[in-house]
Amino acid sequence: MKRATPKRDLPPISMFSLLLAAALLIGSLFLPWWSMKFYAPQYPEGLNIIVYPTGLAGEIEIVNGLNHYIGMAPFSEASFPEFRVIPYLVIGLALLLVVAAFVRSRKLLGGVLVLFLVGGVVGLLDMARWLRQFGTNLDPTAPIDLEPFVPPILGKNTIANFTTYSMFSWGALLLLAVIGLMAFALWNKQARTGQPRPRPAVAHPAPVKDGQAR
Amino acid sequence: MLNKVLTALLGLTSGLLVATVFFADIGKQDDGASTLQSVAEKVYVPQGQKDEYYLLSSGGHSGQLFVYGVPSMRKIRTVPVFSVDAATGYGFDKHSKEMLGGYTWGDFHHPAVSETAGDYDGEFLFANDVANNRIAAVDLTYFHTADILKLPNMGGPHAGVFVTQNTEYIALPTRFARPVSDEYAALDRYDEAYKGIVSMVQFDREERKFNLAYQIVLPPWSYDLSDAGKKVSGDWIVMTTYNTEFATSNQEINASQKDRDYLVLINWRKLADQVATGDVPEVDGVKMVDPRDVEGSIFAVPTPKSPHGVDVTPDGTRFIAAGKLAPLMTVFSFQKAFNAIEQGKFAGEEFGIPVIAYEDVLEREVDPPGALGPLHTQFDDRGNAFNTMFISSEVVKWNIDTGQVLDRKPVFYSPGHATSSEGDTVAPDGKYLIAGNKIAKDSFLSVGPSHPESADLFDISGDTMQHLVSVPVDPEPHYSQMIKADKIKTEVVYAKDENRPNSVWASKDARVERKGNEVHVYGIAMRSKYIFDAEAERPDALTVKQGDRVVFHLTNIDLDQDITHGFGIMDYDLNMEVQPGQTNTLEFVADKSGVFPIYCTNFCSALHQEMSGYLLVEPQ
Repeated sequence: MKRATPKRDLPPISMFSLLLAAALLIGSLFLPWWSMKFYAPQYPEGLNIIVYPTGLAGEIEIVNGLNHYIGMAPFSEASFPEFRVIPYLVIGLALLLVVAAFVRSRKLLGGVLVLFLVGGVVGLLDMARWLRQFGTNLDPTAPIDLEPFVPPILGKNTIANFTTYSMFSWGALLLLAVIGLMAFALWNKQARTGQPRPRPAVAHPAPVKDGQAR
Repeated sequence: MLNKVLTALLGLTSGLLVATVFFADIGKQDDGASTLQSVAEKVYVPQGQKDEYYLLSSGGHSGQLFVYGVPSMRKIRTVPVFSVDAATGYGFDKHSKEMLGGYTWGDFHHPAVSETAGDYDGEFLFANDVANNRIAAVDLTYFHTADILKLPNMGGPHAGVFVTQNTEYIALPTRFARPVSDEYAALDRYDEAYKGIVSMVQFDREERKFNLAYQIVLPPWSYDLSDAGKKVSGDWIVMTTYNTEFATSNQEINASQKDRDYLVLINWRKLADQVATGDVPEVDGVKMVDPRDVEGSIFAVPTPKSPHGVDVTPDGTRFIAAGKLAPLMTVFSFQKAFNAIEQGKFAGEEFGIPVIAYEDVLEREVDPPGALGPLHTQFDDRGNAFNTMFISSEVVKWNIDTGQVLDRKPVFYSPGHATSSEGDTVAPDGKYLIAGNKIAKDSFLSVGPSHPESADLFDISGDTMQHLVSVPVDPEPHYSQMIKADKIKTEVVYAKDENRPNSVWASKDARVERKGNEVHVYGIAMRSKYIFDAEAERPDALTVKQGDRVVFHLTNIDLDQDITHGFGIMDYDLNMEVQPGQTNTLEFVADKSGVFPIYCTNFCSALHQEMSGYLLVEPQ
């Protein structure tokens, strides 16, 4: 009896690339993905909101304390259900990468890549939604009346005495690297041709005739 | 064309250079101005930069600790220690009120930083209260007074506080002799009924608590100053005495009759061993050891008239007495004293205390011509000593080994103590010296008859001392400690400790508990509100009945640097502060009925003015 197995059409180098991608993905669980830094005359050292896939870090309580003056809702890990889901998604994707690495199927890997990209886009949209939510649902009874605003996902913004800088962090770079490694696994030359890469031919420079040099 | 201009310029420049090198005296022409500029640069610390040293200075009869930065001499903070302080609510809140023990003032003379191996470790600072017989510890992590201990049997621990080289003991010898156990005895019975007591105190750094280990009973002399030995002399304490005449009136004259008073040498380790054996009587629960009962634990050395300071050299080999009424510094050798003790070579006995002959301990007398009123000795790292001269108003630098006077500089005016950078440790830095002056007179803008005191800062890193700046200071500078800034490691916010008794960390947990006529508030302070009771219609209003005992526990949940909240209750004469992350308690009886606004007294935020509430006291 013959077992139905997907076609093993990815070269060994793709396997290593995918295993590395899986490792980086797991590694990103321990690194911040995104952060916002707040500067004001009284805070030359800056206040931080640091977003990990598993929770928040930085001077959250101080930022919340200041935000109440403009009527922004306080935020905490409890206010974001995503933190309870993301770690499992990340581990799940990493497992899929490991499976794809050993199965070495282009089809399977393509599926994982699409899943990954969809997840990324959904994640960014979710962030944008939260930022809009916090910036526009300001308590009208707050002592300082401020026009609703939407903090950018990336870049500089000014609110009252604060200048904020939003930026992606190390974890997000790892996620980009994971995409890169998946793309490499999928589209490196051996994977495309199904042939081992030929050894590069040694190029012999043409002999230079005397007097031809400038 | 370009070439011609360049050549001409080059020629002019070289000519100017040659002229400058050979003929000009740029340096001299401009000497006054450039010297002043270089002096100014030595004390100028730009915004954003920090000073090199902390100066932890006694506040004398203000009962407070003054903290300055050196070399800028900017006053950074007043830390209340022995006196009530409205600005910080010290003496109002429950903990500090209990520590003060009902006293409203103290007289803080001599700070000592805790030491390890004879060097400052920067953890705690100890302070003596000459007025009310107390010792205090200031925690240098928070710059808060951590503990105060009342010392029985003492007559003002002026000669403290001096720590042994690993802070095993903090020595506090008495200034006035008194009968022990608060007994009454007429002054006519001074000789037999009055005692001079030395308190030997231990400090537990973990518990942040003092323990009076034992007291030493001595003749009713006045003990002026003391110092603990170092290295070879590490087991010893030296103390100066005056009034060996036993004057009981008009001390100015009557205590200044003898040409010699005594230096007392005490071996604290021998006494501690004796106390450990348990064979020591107790007086009012305090172990009191008579050193005459412990062989080899006490000796006296005659020293020129009414000495003031005595200071042990950084290497621990010598002790230097400053003569005060004798215009000289006397260098004594520990080794010579040890030799005389070993050989049993004594000149006699006084009160049963073996007296070693002056000449047998003397190394040299240093008597700079015209220098009068030497009070205290400090050290640098190159074998030199510095003495303040109260009467001739100067600082004298001299070499310990040779006695040679190297420099003399005037101060403005009449210095008491001097403090050099880490100058009383085994490893002085030899960079700066401060003279703490008793008289300022015309130095500053006049504020009428109440003049400030003053401090002069010198750069002592060179062969001669350079006067850098004179600054006014509040009464009353006595001794200080100048410690390298990086040795002090502070916390700027109290850590959030959810297990701390009476603390509340979320607005919703604020609550009021009533038990009979007691009202306990477990509240929070945050920018810019108080919440006493999260469930109440008005969370920042507290209603009690006249006669209720009210206890406010307030936690400042702004865990943000420098966001201190105050808590003042109008017409109740109450105010306290709650520092970031701190829980503080205010306890009082609401004996007046009426409506009493409560407000934040320490400016905290843009809505500080709105940070308020009410205490409503219903009439009985």
